[in-house]
Amino acid sequence: MTKKTTRRNLVTGIAASPYELWAVVFILVPLAFVAYYAFTDNSFRFTTANITRFFTATSSVAGEDGAGREVRTYLLISWRSLKLAAISTVVCLLLGYPLAYIISRASPKAQKTMMTLIMIPMWMNFLIRTYAWMTILQDTGILNNFLAGLHLGRVHIIGTETAVVIGMVYDYLPYMILPLYSIMAKMDHRLIEAARDLGCAPVGVLRRVILPLSMPGVVNGVTMVLIPSISTFYISQKLGDGMFFLLGDAIEGQYTANNLHFAAAIAFILMVALLAAMAVMRHLTSKYTYGGAAA
Amino acid sequence: MDKIIELRNITKSFDGEVVLDNISLDIYDNEFITLLGPSGCGKTTTLRLIGGFETPDSGDVLFMGQRINDVPPHKRNVNTVFQRYALFPHLNVFENVAFPLRERKVPREEIETRVEEMLAMVALKGFEHRSVTSLSGGQQQRVAIARALVGKPRVLLLDEPLAALDLKLRKDMQQELKNIQKATGITFIFVTHDQEEALSMSDTIVVMSEGRIQQIGSSQDVYNEPKNAFVADFIGESNIVDGIMLRDKSVSFSGHTFACVDGGFAPSEPVDVVVRPEDVDIVPAGKGMLQGTVTSVTFMGVHYEVIVDIGGFKWMIQTTDFVAEGEHIGLYIEPDAIHIMKKSEYSGLYGDYASFSNEFDELSDAESEGSE
Amino acid sequence: MKRASKIFTALMFVFLFAPIAILLLFSFNEARSLSVFSGFSLKWYRELFRDTETLKTVRNTLVLAVCAAGVSTVMGTAAAVGIHRMRSKYLRSALDMVTNIPMINPDIITGISMMLMFVFASRLFGFAASLSFITLLIAHITFCLPYVILQVLPRLRQMDKSLPEAAMDLGCTPWKAFWKVELPEIMPAIVTGMIMAFTLSLDDFVISYFTTGTGFQTLPIRIYNMTKKTVTPDMYALATLIFFVILALLLLSNLTDSEDSQKLRAARRAKRAAAGKPPADPRKQRILYACGGSLALVAVAAAIVFAVTETDNKPQVLNVYNWGEYISDGSEGSMDVVKEFERWYQEEYGRPVQVNYTTFASNEDMYAKLSSGAVRYDVVIPSDYMIARMIEEDMLLPLDFDNIPNYQYISDDFHGLYYDPDDAYSVPYAYGIVGVIYNANAVDEADASGWDLMWNEKYAGQILQFNNSRDAFGTAMYRAGMDVNTTDRSLWQSALDDLLAQRPLVKSYVMDEVYNMMESGEGAVAAYYAGDYFTMLDAQADTVDLRFYYPDPTNFYIDAMCVPSCCQNKQLAEIFINYMLSQEPAIANAEYTWYASPNTLVYENQDYIDEMGEDAMAILYPGWDDFAAQYNTYAYRNLDGELLDYINSLWETLKIN
Repeated sequence: MTKKTTRRNLVTGIAASPYELWAVVFILVPLAFVAYYAFTDNSFRFTTANITRFFTATSSVAGEDGAGREVRTYLLISWRSLKLAAISTVVCLLLGYPLAYIISRASPKAQKTMMTLIMIPMWMNFLIRTYAWMTILQDTGILNNFLAGLHLGRVHIIGTETAVVIGMVYDYLPYMILPLYSIMAKMDHRLIEAARDLGCAPVGVLRRVILPLSMPGVVNGVTMVLIPSISTFYISQKLGDGMFFLLGDAIEGQYTANNLHFAAAIAFILMVALLAAMAVMRHLTSKYTYGGAAA
Repeated sequence: MDKIIELRNITKSFDGEVVLDNISLDIYDNEFITLLGPSGCGKTTTLRLIGGFETPDSGDVLFMGQRINDVPPHKRNVNTVFQRYALFPHLNVFENVAFPLRERKVPREEIETRVEEMLAMVALKGFEHRSVTSLSGGQQQRVAIARALVGKPRVLLLDEPLAALDLKLRKDMQQELKNIQKATGITFIFVTHDQEEALSMSDTIVVMSEGRIQQIGSSQDVYNEPKNAFVADFIGESNIVDGIMLRDKSVSFSGHTFACVDGGFAPSEPVDVVVRPEDVDIVPAGKGMLQGTVTSVTFMGVHYEVIVDIGGFKWMIQTTDFVAEGEHIGLYIEPDAIHIMKKSEYSGLYGDYASFSNEFDELSDAESEGSE
Repeated sequence: MKRASKIFTALMFVFLFAPIAILLLFSFNEARSLSVFSGFSLKWYRELFRDTETLKTVRNTLVLAVCAAGVSTVMGTAAAVGIHRMRSKYLRSALDMVTNIPMINPDIITGISMMLMFVFASRLFGFAASLSFITLLIAHITFCLPYVILQVLPRLRQMDKSLPEAAMDLGCTPWKAFWKVELPEIMPAIVTGMIMAFTLSLDDFVISYFTTGTGFQTLPIRIYNMTKKTVTPDMYALATLIFFVILALLLLSNLTDSEDSQKLRAARRAKRAAAGKPPADPRKQRILYACGGSLALVAVAAAIVFAVTETDNKPQVLNVYNWGEYISDGSEGSMDVVKEFERWYQEEYGRPVQVNYTTFASNEDMYAKLSSGAVRYDVVIPSDYMIARMIEEDMLLPLDFDNIPNYQYISDDFHGLYYDPDDAYSVPYAYGIVGVIYNANAVDEADASGWDLMWNEKYAGQILQFNNSRDAFGTAMYRAGMDVNTTDRSLWQSALDDLLAQRPLVKSYVMDEVYNMMESGEGAVAAYYAGDYFTMLDAQADTVDLRFYYPDPTNFYIDAMCVPSCCQNKQLAEIFINYMLSQEPAIANAEYTWYASPNTLVYENQDYIDEMGEDAMAILYPGWDDFAAQYNTYAYRNLDGELLDYINSLWETLKIN
């Protein structure tokens, strides 16, 4: 080996070391603290009580017929959070995918302009953006005034799941579009032509070529939307009329009740569940991805 | 033979730049036709018009007598082998080949047998479950061919399919493509900028330049009877000199009057005279029709390439006899070695080897490959 | 098809920009309301530029974003290069995984995990004020890093490996080869990564919320903390300004540097580098480096300088921690109390003082920060029950009343109250009484009395209930005549049953949303603080006629100024408290917040009385026979942790029903 290449390895070997140190101290150690708090009580003695509480705590919920029904509080909260997050993610995907595709097929200049436009709302404070949605969606809000002006009647949106989903979709849509767009913009146009040439109608091209090729982007986009939407608390508070109580609300509520250990336990369980889900998802979709060899 | 594809008066331009200028071309069933020309001559665009990826600005594309200008690619019974193959990276070899069959909802067993058949034909049996990205260039090429043929198209379009292969492999693939074409009886429309490739494979060669067809003919036709200086120069090596057609079968150039076999020109009409380098014999100085000085000699293996200065015009001569640089020699040319062409817009642009160098040629070749 | 996709794209952009259009519109609203547009005015833009605290948080946010983006860009790029060249597969995939963690982890977990660590570290190493600009910066760098790395790494992988080799072959040192060939090649990715990091840092609220500390507050946190009052339209004005600045910048960069020309340049450069020719257009290239490099360097330098100046204890710094929107801040022609204090102090003592004024959204929020031991404040203004708890936990210092002579003006009613029976730790700042606000155009006058109005089925779907457990349970317990501080769990359970019965009638559980909803007529009945009623009255829509009454019994609360035990300069803190009691600032604060003042200098002052008006005075200061007795009976008291946990779980039950 020549002197030059050894020195080169030395230089580049050092390049990553600040980050390695940083990652250990500021990514791994804090996570260890979450685990530590999750498995200790207020006097820092080991306990699994916080974890079992998450799975066993019950509440009485009125059923359809008005009769009380025992439910597992946090499992129900998790289920509802997951449901809303999943709906939002699917909507983001359904809206974001075609948009990303349209943008990726536009002229380079139009592409850049449109991507810029998609980024711009992210620069406005998200609390303020959510506030603006309140103004639009409420019963006497802009949308209803507009509809009334057209004699189309009124719609009740604020406080419903729809409102929360709109808020989440609005806030997280760019996170879906960005990864999708970046993979679609890189996609080899000749593959699409090849598919057309081999007898695929446009729908078939989408299903058999574009979709599988953009799978890594879909995985990234879904991850980037699902995760913040499963843990949000502000959007559900503002647009859900305070009627929704999600995992984020639960964690924040325990934090403000100074119940740090239980807050950490919820966070820990959520974290483990998400990491597991992501690992499974990546494993499943790795069949469809192709190691970036075509990139 | 039946016409399978007709192009009628097709014009196409991109961003105001004319790429195809009033092209008309008939392609017959079961024929191996090559579109040959330098990069930017419009050959790939012609192919894409037939494939359905472009629509002409004016003129018609006919498939078996029917106008198909607006038929989308997936509804044309025409398949393409793309320049860099365009294999689907998310599918394995088998699935790539099965792709068009699955689209047509062909029964499973039939897919299996047809794909196996195709893979056998391109000698890729046993590669079914390999990822296409793990294949070599030649293997990818075969997959692309199998994929394009499995749907039994009437016409196969090949867009410089061999450009990315190395020389040896390219020669093998040329032979193989020719065999496949014969075996399947499918019309092949082949695009290349490599004249040797074109000559060795084609039934018909279409020489194109600047968006126009220069000549259509068999390999022998375009080599032996080039229509103009462009074709003469582009296909093989040519010495092209100005001459005067004195009368039928007599032409004067380089200060000498030669007997030739061509006729039908006006008396004393200025013409372009083509003499292939291999058709010139070297004789001792003072003998022969022309006298010159050797300026360079290059050993090429089978022969020497000799550049001879004759009255300021440099001729290229290929000979198996050794001559030394600086030697004075005489040149002898048989009448049937002389080909007479009408003057054209390309006259005077080609055929002088004054600035010739091998290196230069290769460089421009590499450039055209890279840019197309 | 073409047409359909055009329409779809247009609709999507309408969706993306509709709220921004709303922001834009309401930033020009004459009234304070965010739901009723009453006329065009530039007033909120003027307010914005007068609001020094907001401008300071804007500056903080920008400084933080620039530093975080700069540091994470430099470190992330280096990391990407290192990871790219790493020989060990295991180390590489391990690092890949770790890099993904901050992206996969929800913000709230990242925030909590970092807070836990900082708190622990501050205890372990004894840093008193560890939560500060530095911790915030560390947190932001941590969540920005993966985005930079994941931008740069793929670009490196795409790059032709022979490029740096060609450069070295042509005589470049490895370092030079990186600098001259690789860096320009990956520059677009670095720039994209930096922009992403900047964007994320700018918009982050959740992680900042958990990791911010003394004296350094960002804009999102300030906005969140406004929730006790309400988000004011000057925030809309700010958003509008940001929008236009960004739009202009981005369009400008779009015009001058299109993507394809960049690609073309890269291709040309690659060709030339491979052919051993000098890079094309070295001047432009150098400018690109210079921009990227110097931006990063400036950011790092700024981070260091800023960190040093922030932690470097200036001789006179006073850290004040108060509710959001709870001090007269100079808007709408009011007195800027903090600024005036600094001026006054300089005049009086001949020395400068710098007040770091930060805000919190709830007592519990403040308590969590303070009890972590990782922040340092000199003056805090919590509510009564929290004061009791903090006294119990030795978190407050007894005051030296010699330094607070103005304490004499505090009304006798406010002496010897339960939370501070010896009047040793606290000086009352403001107090309030919860009342019922209703829209007389929607509610029968006959129904408008007592707590029953909030359970009246006639107004189903128009009732607004508190969105916090203590206040919501309070309404049910006052209504049922219970002791709101009972330790009898069955009573709490029965209060829950009442709340569950009320739930179908409730339109919304609200905090600050109450303003919008009552002003616009969305809600017809709400329990809220007397002072806030007047704020709503100010902005009510034409179709709305808001009225107010006190149910009996009802909640009293007092917020008082205290000095926490982490205080660094107790005397200065007491001087500040004393200043707050003097007439001019006290009146300014009372007029600004619309809350009742315990200070005789205020409520006996004729100017103040005239300013407030007779009706307001009657509501804010209803007059009572025995204030202390009433207060001690009906005010919230500190409950023990286990009971609070129990109440919290009851609250969760209510919320998930």
